[in-house]
Amino acid sequence: MSGTGSADERRVGSLRELSPAVEPPRDLWPQIEARINAERRSAPAAQPRPARARPLPPRWLAAAAVVASVAVGVWIGRSLLPAARPGVQSPISAARATLAGAPTALDVAYVSDRRYQRDRAALMKSLQARLAALPQPARAKVMASLAAMQRAKQDLESALGKDPGNALLQELLVNTYQDEMRVLTDVQASDAGRGI
Amino acid sequence: MTQAQAEDTRVDWEAALVQRACTGDTRAFERLYREHAGRVYGLCLRMTRDAHLAEDCTQETFINAWRALPRFETRSSLSTWLHRIAVNVSLAKRRKASPVAPSPDDEEGTGGACGWTLETPVEVQEIEAAIGALPDGARDALILHALYGYSHVEAAQMLGVAEGTCKAQLHRARRLLRERLHVEVG
Repeated sequence: MSGTGSADERRVGSLRELSPAVEPPRDLWPQIEARINAERRSAPAAQPRPARARPLPPRWLAAAAVVASVAVGVWIGRSLLPAARPGVQSPISAARATLAGAPTALDVAYVSDRRYQRDRAALMKSLQARLAALPQPARAKVMASLAAMQRAKQDLESALGKDPGNALLQELLVNTYQDEMRVLTDVQASDAGRGI
Repeated sequence: MTQAQAEDTRVDWEAALVQRACTGDTRAFERLYREHAGRVYGLCLRMTRDAHLAEDCTQETFINAWRALPRFETRSSLSTWLHRIAVNVSLAKRRKASPVAPSPDDEEGTGGACGWTLETPVEVQEIEAAIGALPDGARDALILHALYGYSHVEAAQMLGVAEGTCKAQLHRARRLLRERLHVEVG
């Protein structure tokens, strides 16, 4: 066989000792990514993307911008500052606290922003009324989305507790907060029969 | 962190990546690629015995996976799912590269489950060469069962053959390896 790796003079006593993994001789990702992007451009409907988002009213764009700016702030803070700063809860203890029902450091950073707190509270306040006004299929879809995001946040926080330095997990968590805000703003904007 | 905790983290992390990739996040999908590319490429390479073809198969596997990701059920194993795709792609590419019907000899034997321990340790390179020299059917069954740890049923399903055929191919692979390596494969 050509290229199962360099000449390996290691001796093995069982076939199970052979490593199933063989590193490709070159990075195949750039070509994979190029093909994925090409397919996206030619047939966006076939891609694993969510439904196209409608343009948001300026007020909710502003709310989303606040979330984004807080997220960036949190992201920078968590990326650049060591976790063991005096007086700051470590990610592990924060995740443990989450599992016990208390807010994490990330939660605290979010809710400490008054504008975000106010806007999110307003959205949550009107959520039930907005949901009641939606057709049943749309209502079920929104509730399922919010529940999925809640589970995702819990899973990510739990995973971060075990792997606090994982930058991707941190980013995914921030993205999930933003996704939640996006859904809430979409629901808010669903009046006047525009639907979700 | 214990090994069990590390495994939990990996699974949680993978589920989160799958979730993100399903929303169109190619960065998350790239992380999944980095995690699984070695095993997928290893499978394709051993099945096709051609490095260039194996690269094509690996790319095809991940592109097909990207398209089908929304249908992936996170309760099942992502690696098993990717390997199934890789086997299908490799079989198709191999048929296209050399459309030869399987020989009647592929159906021989009725061997059952067996271990894959070598009586005398052998160099990795020598074993890989011996595996590479096996007939396609026997090699496929051997790779999935002995190297990747799939059961007879799973390997048979992946290859689209009956379980008995898969066992027979493994029996054949064992016999041929014994002949080529001059050691007992028990």
